[in-house]
Amino acid sequence: MSSHGNPSAMRAAARGPGAGAGALSIKDADTSANKNAYNAGIMKKTGAEFAKEFFDEKNQVVHESNTVVLVLMKSDEIDAIVEEMILGPGKQANPSITVEDRTGFWWIKADGRIDVDTEAASELLGKTYSVYDFLVNVSSTIGRAYTYGSTFTITSELMGLDRKLADV
Amino acid sequence: MPLSSATHAATSALRANRAPTSVSPQEVHRWLQSFNWDFAKNRTKYPTKYKMAFDTKEQFKLIAKEYARMEAVKDERQFGTLLDGMTRLGAGNRMHPRWGETMKVASNFLEVGEYNAISGSAMLWDCATAAEQKNGYLAQVLDEVRHTNQCGFVNYYYSKHYHDPAGHNDARRTRTIGPMWKGMKRVFADGFISGDAVECSINLQLVGEACFTNPLIVAITEWASANGDEITPTVFLSIETDELRHMANGYQTIVSIANDPASQKYLNSDLNNAFWTQQKYFTPVLGWAFEYGSKFKVEPWVKTWNRWVYEDWGGIWIGRLGKYGVKSPPSLRDAKKDAYWAHHDLALIAYAFWPTGFFRVSLPDEEDMEWFEANYPGWDEHYGKIYREWKALGCEDPKSGFIPLQWLAKNGHTVYIDRVSQVPFCPSLSKGASSLRIHEYNGKKHSFSDDWGERMWLTEPERYECQNVFEQYAGRELSEVIVEGHGVRSDGKRLIGQPHVRGDNLWTVEDLRRAGIVCADPLAD
Repeated sequence: MSSHGNPSAMRAAARGPGAGAGALSIKDADTSANKNAYNAGIMKKTGAEFAKEFFDEKNQVVHESNTVVLVLMKSDEIDAIVEEMILGPGKQANPSITVEDRTGFWWIKADGRIDVDTEAASELLGKTYSVYDFLVNVSSTIGRAYTYGSTFTITSELMGLDRKLADV
Repeated sequence: MPLSSATHAATSALRANRAPTSVSPQEVHRWLQSFNWDFAKNRTKYPTKYKMAFDTKEQFKLIAKEYARMEAVKDERQFGTLLDGMTRLGAGNRMHPRWGETMKVASNFLEVGEYNAISGSAMLWDCATAAEQKNGYLAQVLDEVRHTNQCGFVNYYYSKHYHDPAGHNDARRTRTIGPMWKGMKRVFADGFISGDAVECSINLQLVGEACFTNPLIVAITEWASANGDEITPTVFLSIETDELRHMANGYQTIVSIANDPASQKYLNSDLNNAFWTQQKYFTPVLGWAFEYGSKFKVEPWVKTWNRWVYEDWGGIWIGRLGKYGVKSPPSLRDAKKDAYWAHHDLALIAYAFWPTGFFRVSLPDEEDMEWFEANYPGWDEHYGKIYREWKALGCEDPKSGFIPLQWLAKNGHTVYIDRVSQVPFCPSLSKGASSLRIHEYNGKKHSFSDDWGERMWLTEPERYECQNVFEQYAGRELSEVIVEGHGVRSDGKRLIGQPHVRGDNLWTVEDLRRAGIVCADPLAD
């Protein structure tokens, strides 16, 4: 699982009034080759180089993206699902899936779609676990997220416009 | 006795749709939705100029029992963590004090947004005709009640455990004297609940929630953790677990109107107005709260904005809707300029007006200044030298009698308030997308800071009549105003707002009185 630093050390450094002698910045792992990384593309740049691209004429309008973002709040169940399912069979099915540790949550980005089968999660966790249990810790979605039976999906498709949302 | 038409319809529906025999919640959901009827005339109290389709779906297929079970688990985990583990660890007093002050702003202001979102989503429930769409909006009403309580609880928890509770315990009593309150109410109240129902959905769900809750409620937790605060991630990430359904509600609002050719007449201008309305406040305030209200920096705010607002919301939500006629907001260019500079502009004003706040602010130290200059080249020459001058003049020390707003006045840097957004701005110091323009209407002068708000006002001037803080208190001595507006701590002497985050050397009402500041309205003749 890719990580972007040492959150424990970071937390330990910020404690109470007057604590913390020096500024501490999170240092990101080198994910420069991965276009879906948290700090990919322009985000790798700093200072004047960043500003130049940020204000470049081509970046004054939005550009369509085929990616999706999923933010999962860390929990006992979610950590196992991320490790064993999203980074396991999920990444095999969709190699563009990228998972990053952002301290309180897992930030996940992929091309196209991400599916989570909660029946498989039930087997992994050894307890009944439905899509509604999964939704307890889904903190944000960018893309069209929906449930169908025991599957949670987030997709770049325009559900309801490009394709109808189906009932079970 | 003849059957009424309603009883007849219900009996026929039951005959056609047998009750499910399984316990699958989604089967129950499908069955419940079959009890829908077409409204010959939608008798909503909250009409819209758009035509909302009758067959719009709900993406998460909620039924009441699963919804209640899901939310109960969230609350058990959150309150269990706070009241047991966090209390045992002393988490309420382990964050950097700068961040403890930031949470006075973030949680109190978000509470207002959540409270108004109850009304906004209830209005949409009343307005929509599709049963599934109503179901999604109704769950949101319940979510917003939960979120209002959660935000209140963050301040309650901080009040009990944080070493400086003033401002966490009752910020709302200072609402008339703080220049940031009215702008917050413009985005979090007026934008969510006033006017056309679909326009409110675009403000609340498609822009406020799908775009700005990601930095406001998700990214903030990275900053919180970096600064020692584990309370905020526990609560805010739990709040956000409901927001994804609200984002879906906003998207389904667009789905419900997208196939009506008449929608094209309004949709892009409504989207642009909503984007500008929301960004005008959130962009500077979040950037200021993160960068100036922290000791340990995660990343430059402009990068957070670029990721969550421009690339993800812009590309994945708005960009994908391009083939259905949704266009890139024309105000994006100015919004990007604000993303880079407006929070620095606001930080100067917030520091200069510190006595009016319900939180303590602090000067950037040399390490902060180095970070600002590295990430915003040109910062030091424009902003850094002003902070150094204020520090040299003794702005932190009550004995100096120096408050930076005196420096602004003396050096001709007049601060105005934008009539539409209610955001204060200083044209002579602004590097964001703000410049002064003044109009007169019905015998009253109005100042504006940008083309987009000015345009909104010219279209509906009667909508933006809010009296600003300068007009309200013109001619009054500042310490008198602060006392009247409850900006004083429980000892009746020391101010809630302070220009540093240390525990000693706090400014009192008497110190402020000695400074002899009289409030002035820059638009007064």
